[in-house]
Amino acid sequence: MQTQSSWTAWMRTNGVYFALLVFLIAFPFILGALTDSSPYGVARGDRMIMRGESVRWQAVFIEVYILAILAMSYNLLFGFTGVISFGHALFFGLAGYILGLMFIDHPDWDNNIAFLVGCVSAVLACGLLGLLMGLVTLRLRGVYFAIFTLAVAEMAFIFFGRLERTNAEDGFAMNQLPLWIDPSQNRLTFYYIALALFAFTFVFIRRLIASPTGAVFQAIRENEDRAQAIGYDTLRYKLFSIAISAMLAGAAGLLQVMLNKKVGPELLSVSYTVDPLLMTLIGGAGTLLGPIIGAAGLHLLEVFFRDSRITLGTTIIEVANIWQFLLGMIFIAAVIVFPYGVMGTWRRWRDSKPKSH
Amino acid sequence: MSLILEVENIHTFIGQFHILQGVSVTVPAGSTTVLLGRNGAGKTTTLKSIMGLTPPRKGRVLFNGKPIHGLRPHTIAQMGIGYVPEHRAIFKELTVHENLQIAERKAGDLARKEDFIFELFPDLKRLITLNGGNLSGGQQQMLAVARALVPDNHLLLIDEPSEGLAPVIIEHLMAAITKLAESLSVLLVEQNFRVASKLAQNYVIIEEGQSPLSGTMTDLMKDESLIHRYLGVA
Amino acid sequence: MNTSSRQNALVAAGVIIAVLLLVAYSNSSSMGNFGITVLSGLFQGMLLFLVASGLSIIFGLMDVLNLAQGAYFMMGAYVAYDVQHVGGVVDLTQVIPDPNLRFPLAVLGAILVGGGLGIILERGLLRPLYSRPVFQLVLTFGVSLVMIEIVKLIWTTTPYSWTEGFGVRDSFFILFDQRFSTYRIFVVAMGFALIIGIGLLLRYSRIGLIIRAGVEDGEMVQALGINVRAIFTLVFTLGSAIAAFGGAIAAPFLGASTTLGASSLLQAIAVVVLGGMGSYGGTAIGSLMVGLAISVAQAAAIGTEFAALPSITPMLLLILVLLLRPSGLFGTAR
Repeated sequence: MQTQSSWTAWMRTNGVYFALLVFLIAFPFILGALTDSSPYGVARGDRMIMRGESVRWQAVFIEVYILAILAMSYNLLFGFTGVISFGHALFFGLAGYILGLMFIDHPDWDNNIAFLVGCVSAVLACGLLGLLMGLVTLRLRGVYFAIFTLAVAEMAFIFFGRLERTNAEDGFAMNQLPLWIDPSQNRLTFYYIALALFAFTFVFIRRLIASPTGAVFQAIRENEDRAQAIGYDTLRYKLFSIAISAMLAGAAGLLQVMLNKKVGPELLSVSYTVDPLLMTLIGGAGTLLGPIIGAAGLHLLEVFFRDSRITLGTTIIEVANIWQFLLGMIFIAAVIVFPYGVMGTWRRWRDSKPKSH
Repeated sequence: MSLILEVENIHTFIGQFHILQGVSVTVPAGSTTVLLGRNGAGKTTTLKSIMGLTPPRKGRVLFNGKPIHGLRPHTIAQMGIGYVPEHRAIFKELTVHENLQIAERKAGDLARKEDFIFELFPDLKRLITLNGGNLSGGQQQMLAVARALVPDNHLLLIDEPSEGLAPVIIEHLMAAITKLAESLSVLLVEQNFRVASKLAQNYVIIEEGQSPLSGTMTDLMKDESLIHRYLGVA
Repeated sequence: MNTSSRQNALVAAGVIIAVLLLVAYSNSSSMGNFGITVLSGLFQGMLLFLVASGLSIIFGLMDVLNLAQGAYFMMGAYVAYDVQHVGGVVDLTQVIPDPNLRFPLAVLGAILVGGGLGIILERGLLRPLYSRPVFQLVLTFGVSLVMIEIVKLIWTTTPYSWTEGFGVRDSFFILFDQRFSTYRIFVVAMGFALIIGIGLLLRYSRIGLIIRAGVEDGEMVQALGINVRAIFTLVFTLGSAIAAFGGAIAAPFLGASTTLGASSLLQAIAVVVLGGMGSYGGTAIGSLMVGLAISVAQAAAIGTEFAALPSITPMLLLILVLLLRPSGLFGTAR
């Protein structure tokens, strides 16, 4: 009796998520069956070629997972702790560079070892960097941290854009990925790893927010002075939030360079700060599902409209050309009229309804 | 007896906190009324609500019979209400002269009021070129009150003028306020009961965001138990 | 800020400038070379001041860090370039064939566009958000990005270099066997005039009085019967117009490119933090220091592999200031 009722309770709170996860796991095969393409790609001799609808959409979903992890990391810092960062691209890109440099500097190491060491050191480096930046500026007003991250991210962008060792602005290809995870050979495996990381991030953040630490994060966001007056060392909590956020962003960055098998300064560009900010805003800052909805929504929209065009009288506009502009306008509109985002507005609507007994 | 100020049952929120839960105050024209009560009861918030700095969500505020609740602070000020906040709030980077100048609402205000102001606060004349930040606490308080006298104000809202000041300075301040109250109405917030009782003809007790009791100062002075109950040690 | 810390700050500023000049001198092959570096430093410092002054005053007065200031600078450069040259959105080459006459119009156009965009931003977008400062910062960030996109749409992503020669721009004089551009001197002189002019305005006019008081305590200014919001709009518009003006007069030398937005913004932020947020004098001195530092770095980086040094100098300065004295030289710890 006991086990049965706790089962149903679990299903009620988590059933939807569980169902979604099952769907995402089965997705490559479902799509493969529907479009008559193999989720493993097409074999050409002893190599695989990524041809076919299933593998193509796996890539799209992997991109969504990456953006979702990045957005969730941003949301943890901004939405839940109330700290603005204008330099998240720094963690995203730096992680990729560290992994790439690991391969460049140690060509003699076994691929798997270089890969593992590279990933771990990249994530740790991001966390450390986040901590350092926080130590310097979090004691001051929030705007200082924001401009500090902006400055450091821009500096990194310029620096890596000129570094000869990494081929300056062209970047370099990363061909030494272990075969089992190489998305150009074993995309399905990579898909499941990305999905696993995505699910882990969600569950982890959900647990963290529900914990006492998470409650302090939110108290800091509401009114930091009051939280301090109660007795919390807000600096320590903010530093913790940044470290986690930075590490998650770095993990997302690692997935990105693995997917593209290329490392370049564009990973440090401001768009990787704007995208998670925008996705978090539109999806709903300070909610758990918000960043995921924002990431999935915006990215899928872009994929669908990427190749279309709009005709106004005699002029034809390629959507791809004005996409950044549209994104910017959506950004502004979101800040002014839609600051709570999809999940936020839904929550307020739900909370304002009279409770029925 | 006309009422220069009528505050009717105002509710004011700061964030989610319901600070004022139905405060009512009246100030008869030409008199001085004092808001009494413990720390945190809502006295400063009442003044700020009247001034429009923390506008009331419910209730009405009438100035000479005209509703001023919901108006922007600068509009309310222009109607003839002067505000002397807690902790002086003079501009430290501006000189005494500039502090007075900025309070002008019509050209020539300061020229007309200069004599009256320096008669009340002769020290200010001597310090006229000093920066506000270089003045002592007492001098800053006098400047803050003087500043409210520059334009043609009919009602002054003064918040805890005696706070942190030496007794001798307080005496001087009290004399000045008594003098200016001859031509202006005053709504005072004052924790120091001795000062309050000397300056005000009427009182309103603010307790936990409400105004449970009001009346004339002479009646209050006779009732020791009331003083102890609402004000702690007198 | 009391007089002793102000004196300390002035001494510190003097020391820093002296050190920079010394480094420049020891690095220079000749007196003429040194002069070029100093002039270039003053020139860039003045341009920085045009962007940073708005940033500092707006922040002191309204508590908003207007991240769009850099974008106004960039916009000013593009508008000036467009008006001056053939083609583009506005083509005046037939109407006003003399380039010397066209240039003032180009600059005027930039000022009008900058001011216009400033009004739109302040009244249309920022006002609804006064109660939520976090979103104001995010908004100005978004606006700066949108402005870059708009520029790309109108003028493409290819940077423009100024090709129209005209009298003032091309003339030069010889000193210490070196060519000094008259135009740079002109900009520096005008910059000084502006610094002094704005300073006088702040000290002796009623608007200046209100602004100085508002930087200290905006609520009290309101309680005195002054409509601060109108002042906000005025200050904001002036700030954006002046920043656009800066971009316009810089354009003959720097051209017009979309990277101007980010680089001028970050440099201006470094100036404002170094000088002290909300301090006018601090911004003026800070502009000089950062301009000089960038010029020294540029001179030092010639021929070495540290070609990126000048671009990251302002950020290094910013990091240094935040580590040592976050309130800046003349700011009050808030």
